[in-house]
Amino acid sequence: MTEAARNSRSPGRLRHRLRRLVSDAMERDTLRAFVVPGPDVARALGLDLEAAGMEISATPRHASMLVLVGETPESLRRSAAVAYSQIPRPRIAISVGAKNPSPFPEPDFSIPLEQKALERATAEARKRLAGKVLNPHKEEKHAGEERAEDSDGGHASREEPDEGDAIHEDLEDEKARAGKDSDEGHTSHKEPKEHAGKSEEHAEKAETESSDGGRANHKDPEKHVEHESMNHAEMGHDHMDHGDMGFMSMVAMTEGTPRSSDGLQMEWVAAPFGPLFPGLPGGLALTLTLDGDTVAESVVSSAVGMPRFEGMSGSAETFAGWLASLDPFSPVAYRALALRAFEDAAGIAPDERTTLARIGAMERERAASHLGWLAGFGYLTGHARLAERAGKLQLALLRAGGSGESDRLRASGASEISRLKIEVDKLVENLRRNPLLTRRLKGVGEIPGDAEASGSVARARGASADARADDEGYRSLGFEAVVRGGGDALSRMRVRLAEVSHSLDLILAAGSISVPSDSFDYGLSGKGSATVETPRGKASLRLSLRGRGVSGLELHTPSTRHIELVESVAKERELADALVGVASLDISPWEVLH
Amino acid sequence: MTAAISILALLAGAYLVAVLEGWVSMGRMSITGPLASGAAMLGRESFVPKRRDRVFFEVAPPLLLVSALLAAAVLPLSPGLIVADLATGALFVNAALAYVMVALLMAGWAPNGAYAMVGGFRFLGQLVAYSMLIVMPITAVAMRAESLVTTEVVESQAALPNAIYQPIGFVLFLLAGMAVCFLPPFDLPTAPGELAGGVEAEYTGWRLAVFRLARLVLVVTVAAAVSVFYLGGWLGPVFPPWAWSAAKTLAVAALMLLAGRHVPRLRETHVLEWGWKVGIPLALLNIFVVGVMILVVG
Repeated sequence: MTEAARNSRSPGRLRHRLRRLVSDAMERDTLRAFVVPGPDVARALGLDLEAAGMEISATPRHASMLVLVGETPESLRRSAAVAYSQIPRPRIAISVGAKNPSPFPEPDFSIPLEQKALERATAEARKRLAGKVLNPHKEEKHAGEERAEDSDGGHASREEPDEGDAIHEDLEDEKARAGKDSDEGHTSHKEPKEHAGKSEEHAEKAETESSDGGRANHKDPEKHVEHESMNHAEMGHDHMDHGDMGFMSMVAMTEGTPRSSDGLQMEWVAAPFGPLFPGLPGGLALTLTLDGDTVAESVVSSAVGMPRFEGMSGSAETFAGWLASLDPFSPVAYRALALRAFEDAAGIAPDERTTLARIGAMERERAASHLGWLAGFGYLTGHARLAERAGKLQLALLRAGGSGESDRLRASGASEISRLKIEVDKLVENLRRNPLLTRRLKGVGEIPGDAEASGSVARARGASADARADDEGYRSLGFEAVVRGGGDALSRMRVRLAEVSHSLDLILAAGSISVPSDSFDYGLSGKGSATVETPRGKASLRLSLRGRGVSGLELHTPSTRHIELVESVAKERELADALVGVASLDISPWEVLH
Repeated sequence: MTAAISILALLAGAYLVAVLEGWVSMGRMSITGPLASGAAMLGRESFVPKRRDRVFFEVAPPLLLVSALLAAAVLPLSPGLIVADLATGALFVNAALAYVMVALLMAGWAPNGAYAMVGGFRFLGQLVAYSMLIVMPITAVAMRAESLVTTEVVESQAALPNAIYQPIGFVLFLLAGMAVCFLPPFDLPTAPGELAGGVEAEYTGWRLAVFRLARLVLVVTVAAAVSVFYLGGWLGPVFPPWAWSAAKTLAVAALMLLAGRHVPRLRETHVLEWGWKVGIPLALLNIFVVGVMILVVG
């Protein structure tokens, strides 16, 4: 008797062997991770997910792990919870440097924001995944799993309260509330309203049922988001309707639907592209109404933006740090902005050494930010090599030149920057000679001539708008604004590429990198204002300093202006072009003021 | 027996292509990687969207696989090793590959979601761009062989492979082949950055495993077609015929996987524009040149 035959007579043992096999496979398999808010934020925080052994997944459905990176607002964690429920089991969640992941389900483990810890976590995650295959009874329940499951025979034996339940309760309440508030009459889809625009596209039809033989059917009403404008069932798309209709009349199908610019009547479909969309900055909540594959309408907001500051007041000591923590893409620039405003209020000026060190730090941040943008842009446009190179260069640059403990750029730091500059120039040259990339971007993402823009978006349409040009320190280093004509995605990319190179020159000229510190006499008082060229454009701050407190805050950020341009770059564009246009604006959703 | 050997060879090829793909995308060569990935995928749960088109959803991945297998059936691995030596073999490849579009359109329509649907219809547009560039170069190949029988096409290249005899056709067929396999830069229907997986996004667990396997088999099939039509299939010195076929097929597959990494995904309009305005005139020119050469050189 063969072993297989023996096993087939003891289904329990066979199942166990199969589990063992799958569990081993899972331990060895590439760890595919869905990253919240996005891989761009992880890189900006200095995490190299690929080096830690993860492969970034574009959709939670193809992932086996969710990585929550950094501090995120509650609304985004809610979207993360929905994304997590779309990861097929066995799955695992880790939180990296987040203090409070609620309402995200309790992560399997939390680690500090360090590359080393992340590398250890990957190995641990593999083991846990493999363990979950062997002991599926310990598989957690999470947000989005139907209550019916609890009373379901298959799961009756594992009703012990676990970490999933807290969030579960939470969302149930939300559902009930939303159901009462909603006047849509969709009692069967009592989805909290806020999910609708924010959760990923997957969410809207993610009402899933498991067809996995071993497990009970589970449906996810939680994840089912009904979009008024995207009711596929009404569009004769549902399979039930295919049968009922017999011959589908195109006239009947499109009756009463809006007519697009080309005169063709089609069903419009609203599809969310964010806040967790892989090709756009994490946290940018974009909803595109598609007319075929053309964008008819767009609605954009930030799921992670800054609060409006007017009338706020707070302690001066912690203000700079607080402002810096709001945007993971440009903490140095915002810290410098706060300190300059303080200095202006107090009527003092920093010495030359401090000025240069700050310039070094800000330029490193700018170059890293542009490279990070380029990596994301490469991913969106499907240019794998570009995404890879730019991401690696960004991480290398963030680590180059030390963290700013020592004032002078050490010899090793300087040579590292010079080495990176050679690699950056090689990359720039490569991109310049890529005719397909040029064709792909030319004429995409054009903005109206009278639109208000700053930073690289403005400089890419011929305006020499750069706050650095008015700065004494920058002028002494031979700064010159990079200006290009064109006003499209191509010229924006070219401006940023040239700026990366120029920024590296400025770092070498400044000779030191030092993140501005909080050594400031907060006893002083007065009114102050400051302007700083952040990686995305001009940010200005006004404040009053009195008795160790700040008040009368007024902040203007470049992304708040640029998010207004989304509509004009997306409208009437083919989907891919619209997305490239939006991405080319390099919006940081974190610095968008609500 | 022949069929069994051919299918095993095809699966082995698909496995090697999966290894290559892992190496290309992650920079690490792992011989057991695809095995672990496949087994792990089978161990995951497989959701289905609630309001899907049940038939289309379930049929699409197997149909993709069947389409690739059918096309492979008429491609010889060595002189005797061919599943079906059809009199219209070369055309049959094109006919079988047409179902790739049907499968992707079904996979796009079925899940009832915007990303997948846009992906599915994008591929329909892509077909309009590439399908002529599959047929027309094959025409020129058949002209030289004076036959549509794939084994005779291989034998016609004994003196000189078609890649050198008709380089325009070779390049066009290779590019069209990449478009059939929706490999970058023609990955419009799946587009990770634009559509978060597109037609593939809604498949999980074992269904995703079938979809991925089908895509790998498709890559091998198209690479084998390139090798049969343009690189002289099994012909070559010293090594046995099957080794030449395998080596050429894998080399073409590697080229197809690598080429797309250095360029951005093409725009749908550009694929159509270049397919019709550049590709088809070139394919016609190719047919004309080959015709003249056959008349003049013999």
